[in-house]
Parts: sequence; structure tokens; C-alpha cells
Amino acid sequence: MTAIDPIVQHHERRNAIITRLLAQETILLVLTVIAVLVLASANERFLTARNLSREISLIFEVALIALPMTLIIITGGIDLSVGSIFGLSAIVLGFLWQDSGWPLEVAIAAALVCGIIGGAINGFFIVRVGVPPLITTLATLALYRGVALGISEARSARGFPDWFLGIGRGEFLGAPWQIWILLIGIVITWLLLSRTIFGRSLYAMGNNELAARFAGIPVNRNKWLIYVFSGFAAALAAVVFVSRVTTTRSDMGSGMELDAIAAVVLGGTSIFGGSGGIGGTLLGLILIQVLKNGLLLAGVRGDATSILIGIVLIAAILLNNFFQWLQVRLTANK
Amino acid sequence: MSDTPILELTGITKQFPGVKALSDVHFDVRPGEVHALLGENGAGKSTLIKVLSGVHKPDTGTILLDGKAVSFNNPREAQDAGIATIYQELSLYPELTVAENIFMGHAPRNRFGAVDWNAMMTRAEETLASLNIYDMDVRRKVGSLNVGNRQRVEIAKALSINARVLIMDEPTAALTESDVSRLFDIVRLLCERNVAIIYISHRLQEVFELADRVTVLRDGHFIDTQQVKDTTESALISRMVGRTIDNLFPKLESKVGEPVLQVRDLMREPFTRGVSFDLHAGEIVGLAGLVGSGRSELAQCLFGMLPAQSGEIRVFGKKVSIRNPAHAIKLGIAYVPEDRGTQGLVRAMSIRENTSMAILKLMSTGGFIKFGAEKKLAQKSIDMLNIRAYSPDQIVGKLSGGNQQKVVVSKWLASQPKILIVDEPTRGVDVGAKAEIHRLMSELAAKQGIAILMISSELPEILGMSDRVMVMREGRIIAEYPRAEVTQERIAGAMMAAKVDVN
Amino acid sequence: MASLSGTASVTKTANRRVRATSWVTQESVLAISIIVLGLVVSLINPNFVSATNISNILNNSSYIAIAAIGMSMVIISGNIDISVGALIGLLATIGGRLAVGAADGGYWIGWAYIIPLCVGVLIEGVIGFIVAYLRVPAIVVSLGMTSILRGGLILWTGGEWIYDLPRDFMLAQQQVLGVPVPVIFMVILTIIAGLWLRYSPAGRSIYAVGGNKEAARLSGISEKRVLMQVFMLNGLMVGFAAMMFATQFSAIQSTVPSGLELLIITAAVVGGVSILGGTGTVIGSTFGALLIHVIPNAMIFANISQYWQQAVQGVLILFTVLVDLYRRRRQSYGRK
Repeated sequence: MTAIDPIVQHHERRNAIITRLLAQETILLVLTVIAVLVLASANERFLTARNLSREISLIFEVALIALPMTLIIITGGIDLSVGSIFGLSAIVLGFLWQDSGWPLEVAIAAALVCGIIGGAINGFFIVRVGVPPLITTLATLALYRGVALGISEARSARGFPDWFLGIGRGEFLGAPWQIWILLIGIVITWLLLSRTIFGRSLYAMGNNELAARFAGIPVNRNKWLIYVFSGFAAALAAVVFVSRVTTTRSDMGSGMELDAIAAVVLGGTSIFGGSGGIGGTLLGLILIQVLKNGLLLAGVRGDATSILIGIVLIAAILLNNFFQWLQVRLTANK
Repeated sequence: MSDTPILELTGITKQFPGVKALSDVHFDVRPGEVHALLGENGAGKSTLIKVLSGVHKPDTGTILLDGKAVSFNNPREAQDAGIATIYQELSLYPELTVAENIFMGHAPRNRFGAVDWNAMMTRAEETLASLNIYDMDVRRKVGSLNVGNRQRVEIAKALSINARVLIMDEPTAALTESDVSRLFDIVRLLCERNVAIIYISHRLQEVFELADRVTVLRDGHFIDTQQVKDTTESALISRMVGRTIDNLFPKLESKVGEPVLQVRDLMREPFTRGVSFDLHAGEIVGLAGLVGSGRSELAQCLFGMLPAQSGEIRVFGKKVSIRNPAHAIKLGIAYVPEDRGTQGLVRAMSIRENTSMAILKLMSTGGFIKFGAEKKLAQKSIDMLNIRAYSPDQIVGKLSGGNQQKVVVSKWLASQPKILIVDEPTRGVDVGAKAEIHRLMSELAAKQGIAILMISSELPEILGMSDRVMVMREGRIIAEYPRAEVTQERIAGAMMAAKVDVN
Repeated sequence: MASLSGTASVTKTANRRVRATSWVTQESVLAISIIVLGLVVSLINPNFVSATNISNILNNSSYIAIAAIGMSMVIISGNIDISVGALIGLLATIGGRLAVGAADGGYWIGWAYIIPLCVGVLIEGVIGFIVAYLRVPAIVVSLGMTSILRGGLILWTGGEWIYDLPRDFMLAQQQVLGVPVPVIFMVILTIIAGLWLRYSPAGRSIYAVGGNKEAARLSGISEKRVLMQVFMLNGLMVGFAAMMFATQFSAIQSTVPSGLELLIITAAVVGGVSILGGTGTVIGSTFGALLIHVIPNAMIFANISQYWQQAVQGVLILFTVLVDLYRRRRQSYGRK
């Protein structure tokens, strides 16, 4: 700390505060709070426990997928195949149970393993072969969906036992199962990202992969892990989803990857990698769902809310750009 | 060489938010001369170039071209006026052909206004021929060329717009020795054709070899312009730094101990071909050689980035096979890489996060980072290496080049290495920080008994710091001299010997 | 000069390798794959190479190919556009509604083609503006735009299909000299776009911006203008694609065909357009579009269960991308 002017130091502290105030998460938090307040005052049913817990079980699948997606985007990668892994796992579950006559517990395990394998194949092409993640997962998006279609031959499984349907529709300690699973997922991912070596490594990889390699960080292993994690989360979400909707179809989860990516990007994680976090992703998810639900309660047609979501997505980044510009202006030394 | 300047800048001032990059700078260049521009990092050289090439507009001051005042709103206008710039990061399109790179933005057209590919190929060949370059296929993709050839494409590009003023920003930084001499030939050729050349370099020898006049900048101020023949290296240094550096190479007497690293017949094709040497505790071994002789690849082989294919490595007498950097770190080996920006640092992260990066395992319990310990480590590094930063949480990218290099060094010292490999430890670092890094290396070897393998392209650094010098060529160590016997001529002779052999 | 001759010999081998492989472009690889596939399948079932079937394949792949021309330009410029699928859905619906209106209200049927084209250019122009001038990454803008367009479309149509399309709105079902109109459009647009990209200074600027933004700026190329141009041209191509899409059947489904944008991106990538920008051709992307349509068609003729079509398609996409990657690696200097 030699030869640093205390005035400069004060100045830098002030700058740090400005930087934090103008971060995307802050903007998002303010937007979310405003949206919640407006909707709550317009409709008393909005802020009820019943409504909220129903909402959470609705965003559960996308939320669960958005968690590993955040990690992947932080490393500068992307996973477009999650929706297809979701569909494939659902089909594997239904097929093994109904057509092959496996016990349902084993079929569930197989569906989860299937997600892990899907993620591992992505990891293989990205790490070992060196195909860019966007292309790898674009190809496996078609591949996994195709396999799901091939296995299912457009048939669907039905008539699951009650204990299974309880996962997607039942409650535990007064809250839907989805809330508990999601909560565990959030806590684990958040701890991983913000508190552990692993999380730190992901940020380092997203900013400068070569430097991370030179620092002895196991870059390849970490990439495998996050894509496998992503596949697993998609499969888990699929199992819960099948339980909620009580059937399997091969087109389940199509387009889900874009929903998850939208939430992550809205949450302030840079699409180029290196920055962002779970908190932002959660805010992104909440804002999207609050808008959907609020507008629905206000009588606007459900599908139309996606207009607003699109606008919010672009506007949030624009606002972020504007604030960054402002920040450069405000923090410039005089 | 004529005495009337083709380009003349007077009283140039340029202010950025927070910094005054240039204040009242004067500069001129005459047809057929090489005018060197010197200064430490941050002295304002880059800003001056950008003003000349139309990237920035000066706040005050005038630019006279052929005696007439001009003002450039964008790079295109400067180019149209005949001012071409070859930037440090070469600005080429790797996926496009040589010809197209040369003519991008002003391709020859046919009478329908379409790009005339045949004319473009022919004219590209003519332009290259005018530079005595006959060995380049203009249809090749630039991405498949080596650095020297890419630079020749850059020069051809400048000529294709009939440049009368050519600005070269550190053109030799990444070149091999033979490419450098070829570059010098081209520069002299251009001078004969009355092109004015503005030449920026950190290597003072080049200034004396090539330049007619030299201008020194310091902290955005104009210091002076002199004839090169009227000045000396030390005079230039003291003007660049603003004080005299008593000793750029503060070498301490060291006690050379047991061998800590023994390498035998190390192979990693195509760059490491049977290397054998010993490194002892407490000594600094300089590793000289041309760019491309396999020095960095040898270091990366020892560090596990490019694991060896065969041969033997012993660390403290124990035979090891180093598979990856994490393994090397565990064995007590550290590597300060050649390119700080792409290999050494994560610029967007803080000093704290960078200094702990190689030893995250030690900074954690059960995978969870101990933030307190991390912060202490960073603060210790800042104090020990005299890094100019206000807090461990400062973003590394905002530090100066010298301070960034200190962060890289501190990252590797944090791993408490017994064997330290430094690759171009002072490249792009200003003279003040250079002396500090040298002092640190010297102390590490003499006081802590660390064995240091120092790769450097600067012979004065090799001579000044090493207890022993090894010379590498074509993936092999071909000569070795103890400190007492080493001279610049001997090293240079050994580096080039092969050329003599075959001719 | 051992060290020099050493490098020289390395350069020489590299030279030889580049020359030896210079004809191995992604375009030729694709053309050969399509032909080989055709030959193999025709051995199993000669009907595969019948005129009807070939015209069928060409016809079905044409709107993807046309959209992939625009997409290729966008990707070459270093960007991406996720919103084209939604945009095709919207423009098709606009065209359909206008056509129905023209039949009832008596204005010129041509508006049913012209207005969607203009809307396409306009919307892509907005995307281009946000990308070029407001510096929001294209993937984010187009993701947002997808959401807006999908929502807007459903809000507008309520998901109703458009049925009673007038006869003169059946452009895609017409033939000229026995060649279906969409195929003519595909061929002509590919040739025009290919020539434009190769011979016009503006076209070359797209490669410059995608290959090295900074260098392009220093060569006096305005990145903003190039990007605006690229996105607006993409809008035009999407407009043409939407017209082919809208007029191929006698009804228009007013929802967005899901996954269409990924199919279009896939066509470009399979065609050798590097996702990193700066390289690729529209001839390649058109071949790419053909290949991804030939495969499922070939499978029908080879009697493979249609349910496995998409899986095989996925494997083949992965395979062509790997071939492209391998080819590039062999041709670049100093990379491992």
C-alpha cells in the first residue's frame, strides 16, 4: 500500500460503491420489486402463498436448468441441448417402465443416468475434440431429440402409480416438492459458485482460459463437470415434470433451452463469460414469472406476456449498457 | 533525406477522462528518415500514434502535412493522406487470403464496380515484389502464415495505399532474428524511396542500428529530439525514466547448491528434441536462443503444459513424469509465462483472485475458499513486490504493465516454488519495474536458494543476471558458459552458428 | 542455414499440404456427400433419384436454404440471429392475412408479398440497430425479439389458422418450365448473394468485420453500417423464405414452427460457415440445407423407421461439423 494517496483511496472506494449500485443485479432487483408491488396492489390474489407456490412449481423445470446454465455461460460456453435431454430423459423413463417393464425406481435412475450421459457426450466433443459449445450442443439438440423420437415412436406412457405422481403434485412440510428440490439446487450451486475453488475456477476460465490452464486449474475436468451437471439437472427436471403432467411425450421441453438462457442473461451473466451469478439468474427467473403471472391475473392472455419478457430482456441489457457508460463517467478521476 | 518535414505536430494535447495522455508534444518526421519514438509504458507513445493515424483527435495543437494543416476524423482519412500504421497487434484477417488482406477496403474494381480478383492477385504480387518478397503465395490464407510473413503482409498493405509516412509500433516484438534482419532490409528499402518511418521499440539496440533521429516522451510530455549519433544508450534511458537507474542488474553473489532439477534427453516433438541439463539450488541459469528455438516449449514441457514424450526429469533426485501444470506446481515448479496478457493473468479479476489462483487448494478447506487468508496473501504480495495498488480487490487490468507483471510473479511466488522458470520476465515492462524484478530474482536465488531458469531475448539481461548461460537452438541446448566466460558475442555466435555451418 | 532451411522446409510442407487440400472445401465435401448418399440409396430404392423425388427434396429445402443465406451473412459478420424462426411465422401470417384480404377487399395481391418483405427488413433493421449502435450482443437481442414476435403473433391471431387462401397466393406451388418456383428462388438468390458476397466491396466488408473488427475499423470500414446492412438483408431473405413457407400449402398455421431457427443455423454451420465469424459461403449453406433435407428423405426410401430420422440427422450434422473442423485445423499454421 505504498505511495497511495488517501484521497485516491477514498475516490476508489466511492467508485466501487457506484459500480455496485449500477450492477445489473441491482437494476433487476429494483425492476422485480416494482413489478411485484404494482401487481400486488392491482390484484390481492397475487401475493398469496397458494399463488406463489403454484408459480414456483410452474417455473421449476426452467429454473433447475438455468442453474447449471449459469455456470456454463460463466465459462463462456452454452448448452442448447438441455431441452432435448429433458425430452429424452422423459421418454427413457416412460419407455423403460411401460414397454420394458422395469421397476419405476430403476427407470427413474436410468432417466437420470441418461441425462448424465447426454451431458458427458457434450463434454466429450467440447473438451476432447474441441468443437465450440454452441455447435456441439446445436448438433446434440437435434441428436437427442431424434433419439427420443426414435425410442418413443410417438407413443406416450401413462398410468404412473400414485407415489410417483406425488413428486410433481404433492407437498412436503406445506410446500410443493419442487420448492424443496429447487432450494437445494440453488443453495448447492450458489455455494459452489461463490464460495469454492470450483466456482472461482469457472470465472477464471470464462475470463481467460489459457491463463487458467497455466495456473494449474483443471480446465478440462471442470468443463466436463458443468456439462454433466447440466444434463443431470435437465433429467431431474424431466422426471419431476413427467410426474406433474402424468405422461411422457418426445417433444417435451423443446424451446426450454432458450427460456433458461433468457433468464440467465436477464440475470446479468455476460453471454461472453467471466461474470454473473446465481442471484442474478434467480432474479431473472422471478421477474419473468412475476410478469407472466401478474399479467395473467390482470386478464392479459398468457402467451402475450412473452412480448413483455422479450422487451424486458433487451431493455435490461440496454439499461445495463447505459449504466456502465454512466459509471465510466462518474468514476473518472478529475 | 530531405530536411523539410513531411509531417509536423506542434503543441499536441490529448486528455482522456482521468488522464492527460499528451501535453504539448512536438514531433516531426522527414522523408527518407527513420525517426524513433521512445518512452516507458504509459509515456504517451500509443496515444501519439493514434493521433497521427486518425484514431484520436487531439484536443489542441496542429498537425501539418506538407506544411498544410490537416485534421483526421477517422483512420480512413489519415490513410488517404498517406499515413499508414502497423500496429503491435497485427490487424489482419486470418481467414482471408494474402491478396485480400493487402487490399481490404480499397480492392481493385472492374468496370462494373465489382471486386476484380485477378487484378488484385497480380497487384498484390507486384507490391510484394517491390519489397523483395518473392516467396509468398498471395492466395494463401493469412491464418496459415507465420508471424514474420504476416508482418510483411502488413507492410505490403501500407504500401498498397501509397503510404508516405509509415508508423511501426514495436514491429520486432514477436519476430525471430532472421525475420528482424529481413524487416530492417525492408525498412531501409523504404527509406531509399523517401518514405518517412516512425519507429517505436523497447529495444534500444534497434534504435541505434536503424534510426536517424530519436524523440523521447515521458508521462505525456515531450522531452527532446536528438540525432541518434549524438546520444548514448544510458543517456536515452535516463531521459525515458527521468532519473538515473544506478543498476539495472543488481546481481547478488549466490551459493550454488545441490542439483534440484535434472533433465535428461527430454523429448517433445517438434520443439524439444533431446534436452539435458541440471539446475542447482540458488543459481540463476539464463536460457538464450532465437524466438522459435524451443525455449518456451521446453519450459512448458517441464511445467506439464506440453507433457514430455520421452526422457527423464528428476526433481530433488526423484524421478517424476510431469503430466499437467497442477502436478508441476505440487512438485515445487513455477512458471512465469511469456505472455502476461494471455497466459499469465486474468485481467478482469482482482489482485487477490490472481495471486491465489495457482494455490487455490492451499487457500481452502474442503473446497471452500478461505477469503481472509486469500486477502492476507494478496496484501503480503502487494507489500513485498511494491505493487502500486490501493487494495487487494483492485482489478488487475487497471494496473500498469510493470505492476501487472509483478502480480504474475507474486502469483507464482505464492506457490513457494523451489524451481522458478521465468519466461521473458521483463518484456514490455518499463525500466523502473525492470530493475525491481531483477532485484527480486536475485534475492530469491541468493537468500532463499531458489533455482531460477530465466528465458530471455535480451542479451544484456541474460549477461547481467545469470550465473550460467545455456544457448538453445532447434530444440537442443548447444552451448553452455559459466558467468565468468560468457560474452555477448559468444552467445550470439552460438545462437546463429547453424546458419554459418550450412552456408 | 540450418535454422532457416529448417523453417523453410516446414513452410514448404505446410504449403504442399494447403495446396493438396485447397480443393477440399466444405462445399465440395457436402456436394460429394449428397451425391454418394444419393447413389447408395438409389441402389436400395431407384425411386430416390426419380425426377419427382429430387424436385421434392429441392422444393422442401428451399425456404430453409433461402433463410440460411441471410443467416450465413449474419454469422460471417460475427453475429447470430435466433429470431428468424419466429419472424418467418409472423411474416407468413401477415402475407396470408393480406392475401385473404386482397381476395375480399379487392386490393392488389402483390401487397401480400411486398408488405411482409418490408416488415422483415424493418424488424431485422431494428435488431441490427440495437446490435450495431446500442452494443447489445446479437444473441441476446434476437432472443428477446423471438419472445416478442412469438407473443405478438399469438396475441394477434389467437392461434387461428388461415384457410381460404386465394389461388393466386400459391407461389410456392407454381412451376416454371417444370421447375418449382421455390427452387428457382433458391438458386437465383444463392447465386446473387454468392456473387455479391464475393465481388462487391460491401460483401467483402462483411468478412472483414467478422474476421477482425478492429482491423476493419482501421481500414475505414464502418462496422455499424455493415451490420445494419447484414441484418436488413437477412430480413429480406427471411421475407422470401416466409413467402415460400406460407404459400406451400393451402393453409397457414399461425404459430411459429418451433426449432426452425436452429435448423437454419444448422444449415449454415453444416455449410462451413464458421460460428466464430469471418468465413463461409452461401453456396455452402445452400448445400447444407439440401443435405439436412436429403437425409430424412433418403431414410424413407431406404425403409428406415421415420422415427429415427432426426437422430440420424443429428449424427450427420455432428459428423459434417467435425469434418469441417478437421479440415480447418489441417490448413492453419502452428495450431495443435
